[in-house]
Amino acid sequence: MVKHEDVRAEAKKLLESGKVKYIIAYELGSDGWKANPVFIKKPEDVDKIIWGPTCVHNLVRFLVDEKRRKALQKNPDTRPVGVMVKGCDSRAIVILLQEKFINRKDVHIIGVSCETTGVIDERKLAKKLKGWIAKTIEFGSDENFLITTDSGAVTLPASEIMADRCLECIANFPIVFDVLLGEKTKRTVCHPFGSVEKIETLTSADRWKFWSEQLEKCVRCYGCRSVCPMCYCDECVADTITFAVSPDTTAEEKAQKIKWLDKSPVISENIFYHMVRAIHLAGRCIDCGECERACPVNIPLRMLNKKLEKEAKLLFGYDVGFDPEKPALISCFRDEDPEDFIR
Amino acid sequence: MKKRTGIFICHCGINIAGTVDVKSVAAEMAKEPGVAHSVDYVYMCSDPGQNMIEQAIKDKKLDSVVVACCSPNLHETTFRNAAKRAGINSFKCEIANIREQCSWVHKDKGKATHKAAHLTKSALKKVQKNESLEPISVPVTRKALVIGGGISGIQSALDLAGAGYKVILVERSPSIGGHMSQLSETFPTLDCSQCILTPKMVEVSKHPNIKLMTYSEVQEVTGYVGNFKVKILKKPTYVDPAKCNLCDECTKVCPIVVPNEFDVGLTGRRAIYIPFPQAIPASYTLDDKNCPDPFTTIACGKCADVCKVKAINFDMKPEIIEEDVGAIIVATGFDLYDKEHMAEYGYGKYADVLDGLQFERLCSASGPTQGKILRPSDHKEPKEVVFIQCSGSRDPELHCAYCSKICCMYTAKHAMLYKHHVHDGQAYVFYIDVRSGGKGYEEFVQRAVEEDGVIYLRGKVSKIFEENGKIKVWGVDTLSGKSIEIDADMVVLAQAMRPSQGAQELAKKLKLAMDKDGFLAEAHPKLRPVESVTSGMFLAGAAQAPKDIPEAVAQASGAASKAIGILSQDRLYHSPTVAKVLKNLCTGCGMCVAVCPYDAIAFKDGKVEVNEVLCEGCGTCSATCLRAAIQVKNLTQNQVQEMILACLGG
Amino acid sequence: MTEEFEPKIVAFLCKWCSSAGSDLAGVSRMEYPANVIPIQVMCSGSVSPLYIFEAFNRGADGVLVSGCHPGDCHYIKGNMYARRKLLLVKKLLEHLGLEPERFQMSWVSAAEGQKYTQVIKELVKELKPLGPQTKLRREGNG
Repeated sequence: MVKHEDVRAEAKKLLESGKVKYIIAYELGSDGWKANPVFIKKPEDVDKIIWGPTCVHNLVRFLVDEKRRKALQKNPDTRPVGVMVKGCDSRAIVILLQEKFINRKDVHIIGVSCETTGVIDERKLAKKLKGWIAKTIEFGSDENFLITTDSGAVTLPASEIMADRCLECIANFPIVFDVLLGEKTKRTVCHPFGSVEKIETLTSADRWKFWSEQLEKCVRCYGCRSVCPMCYCDECVADTITFAVSPDTTAEEKAQKIKWLDKSPVISENIFYHMVRAIHLAGRCIDCGECERACPVNIPLRMLNKKLEKEAKLLFGYDVGFDPEKPALISCFRDEDPEDFIR
Repeated sequence: MKKRTGIFICHCGINIAGTVDVKSVAAEMAKEPGVAHSVDYVYMCSDPGQNMIEQAIKDKKLDSVVVACCSPNLHETTFRNAAKRAGINSFKCEIANIREQCSWVHKDKGKATHKAAHLTKSALKKVQKNESLEPISVPVTRKALVIGGGISGIQSALDLAGAGYKVILVERSPSIGGHMSQLSETFPTLDCSQCILTPKMVEVSKHPNIKLMTYSEVQEVTGYVGNFKVKILKKPTYVDPAKCNLCDECTKVCPIVVPNEFDVGLTGRRAIYIPFPQAIPASYTLDDKNCPDPFTTIACGKCADVCKVKAINFDMKPEIIEEDVGAIIVATGFDLYDKEHMAEYGYGKYADVLDGLQFERLCSASGPTQGKILRPSDHKEPKEVVFIQCSGSRDPELHCAYCSKICCMYTAKHAMLYKHHVHDGQAYVFYIDVRSGGKGYEEFVQRAVEEDGVIYLRGKVSKIFEENGKIKVWGVDTLSGKSIEIDADMVVLAQAMRPSQGAQELAKKLKLAMDKDGFLAEAHPKLRPVESVTSGMFLAGAAQAPKDIPEAVAQASGAASKAIGILSQDRLYHSPTVAKVLKNLCTGCGMCVAVCPYDAIAFKDGKVEVNEVLCEGCGTCSATCLRAAIQVKNLTQNQVQEMILACLGG
Repeated sequence: MTEEFEPKIVAFLCKWCSSAGSDLAGVSRMEYPANVIPIQVMCSGSVSPLYIFEAFNRGADGVLVSGCHPGDCHYIKGNMYARRKLLLVKKLLEHLGLEPERFQMSWVSAAEGQKYTQVIKELVKELKPLGPQTKLRREGNG
């Protein structure tokens, strides 16, 4: 099992050798028990680094910001950036490599095993603890979490508090890495695409009822877009809020701006935005779950993207985020692709 | 500047006006923003109709026009030319099809009129955002490259040279002629193959417009139609063709013997050799793959010692020659499917089981047996010969699914030739069908049956094997329902025709598409059989599909004429409605590069750029791009959005 | 008496096959309902998923995309990409609960005027009982 010390030792080695600019890792947050992302620049700071079941964040998003930062610098530091990734997060890097958004040499991947359990869903945990606040959480062996609170220690079966996406995990071990910490473990509670199957069993009318109720809540905060590593477009085609008109903006660029949908958070426009996002993430979303975690109104966004991940596999035999050389889902086809839906 | 579009609604007599209320559509369109003129007329494509449009453009200072009329396939060019004559860019004219797709298919006048208005509004929205465009032109290098020196390549080269164009003919073996030079006689005339081929070969060697490069291979092709850059590797022959006098003294002293490719392994040749006496260029070649032999690693030099004219030069080096050409014809030919794949027929191990080309060499007067049909194993005359058609063809489970087209004919020929050589021999042909569709072909096959007593048995051969010096053939005659056992002295397999060895690698270098069987893919199976999908590259001969000599020659001439179509122009013109990249939005993800059917998009400086000459404007890239960073001129996503709105609104 | 509901349908027809097939239906004077307004695109592969969403957002009751048969695409394989992309769109729309009949694809060649007529007739017939498309429609549209 990977301990904090293991990660710290590796980080210290990297920073002391000067091999990396800085390392994107996890530290203990101000509440004392949950992880937060942290940028470690100096070897002395590595003791901040932690590794545990609260490390839910997909740190790969920060690589997108790093690229933007570098583009603005006159003489950028060209050393790679270190980043801690779980299995799911590493698939995000695979996608960014597929799309040549980052170069392999610009990132030093520290792959970490999330053991038999995956990470927790803090809301589920809060419900389980009935008001008690967790003080420490650790990975247990045998698919459980070891938790201490002020009222004592408790061992909870992972299936009860693990993140929804971990229950459907198809890659619980890093796919790409420069260094690997921990071992690949077996997770028995997985049921890939289980959440999607639940929706598929509903009738068409019930499905509409479900989604219209959920998407009506959307306030178009674009939190989902901001945390997604794959939403790295400078200009979002669906709805731009970044289009900065400057004296340099050409008339052509202004004329090309298409207004597909309205900005108002009414149901029809919300659905449009989320449909565009889902279709643009087809073959690219690797289910890190950040969009759903970031959503302030608890829309089950994963179930939208997951459906297309399932169809990619089922209809086209396409595995998302495993092979950096693979062409994008919509950039290839097989002769045997289904066409029974075509008249 | 405010838009000023002119709307012209055509009655087309009563074809449109009988169903669509054209006047009300014109009136409705007059109210649309940006419309400065809106009229209807009985026959817009007529001279007065066109004049009306031209006059209105001038009088009302229109910057664009919409003509609502018949299908654009009919008169788009007519009206675009009218617009051009009146002084506006031809691409500022759009057609709304309110006839074939409206008045001719709907009976309800109200609904048809309503739809016609929507269609016209849609065209209006499109034309108002059209850019002014001019056809793209590029210069043309007036030279052609023909890859492959068999009968197809030779024919193409002669046609091009005869038309006055310079041609480079590249052939990888030491002589041109291809498989046709190995044949004894050709069906259905039983013409001597070499006799009809060698005059063409000599013509190639003498033609001032043809630069013949044998023992050479194409290494790299870059560029695009009209402007290809080719790198050709000229392998060293170590013999100076200007000096070699074909005395043949060198082969007498060469110690190295290797299988003779020309005789398909039935004989050996020396390391220094001439493939066949009439080879063009008329010169010997020293094969440096086999000389020096692996043990000594130094050339023995005996051939140079006996060469009286000092033609042999061991210091020759490979050269890379760079050429610019405007069009390329690929004529790389075929090879026979190797007998080693035929498990039921002995894996090619039996000496007396031959393939078609080997049997040709036996028939040939200049072949290994001077034209006598003799068993390779013991040089005895075979009295019973079994010919097996469809060996490896028409077999989707184990070998090739397709029919190799020529086997029925050459098997009949082989059976006849056998009988002409061995009067008391008996020939059996096992067949599934007999396909003899060409001129004189059917009569030819009947000759084999009626005059030469060839026995045709309809059935497949399940197994052949050697026993006591004979080849046992187990087959079936489905017409009588009996199983057949023949103790043959020789078996000839009509092996399937496959694309030539190395054709796949060459196709990759040229970025030419291949079909599912490895043959070069034509642009359209019916209507464009000699063009490849790549503009400026053409296909000829068996490289494209199994075919016989007359078809190969016809196709070669067809490919040459297509190439001449390119080379004869001063400049090449190309539709300007091509893709363009909006660099501020492009992230260089390459999804568009992967989907482009013409390889027209390339990476550049972390983004992509479009080769406007290769781009055909299909728009697949635009629909693939997640960021709308690549758009097709005059059919941008912006324009389509406006058209959707026009179709649905009001 | 209420008027019978007439679905509004946008059809994206590829220029070389389906639009030509539609022209042939016209030349042959075949008859079909006027509910479909065609937009000619160069290739079915150039139909972006956003076109489908936009059409529904703006009040279309049905959307049809029609292209060349596999192997016949004028641009070689654009229809193969359309086949993949638009199946994903179809699955997404159905996942949301949109009636599957509303978005359809067809292969219509330049010789298939009869087939085009059939496709339109069947499409209109299937959409009439479903009534107006209100799920994805923006208010004030359709």
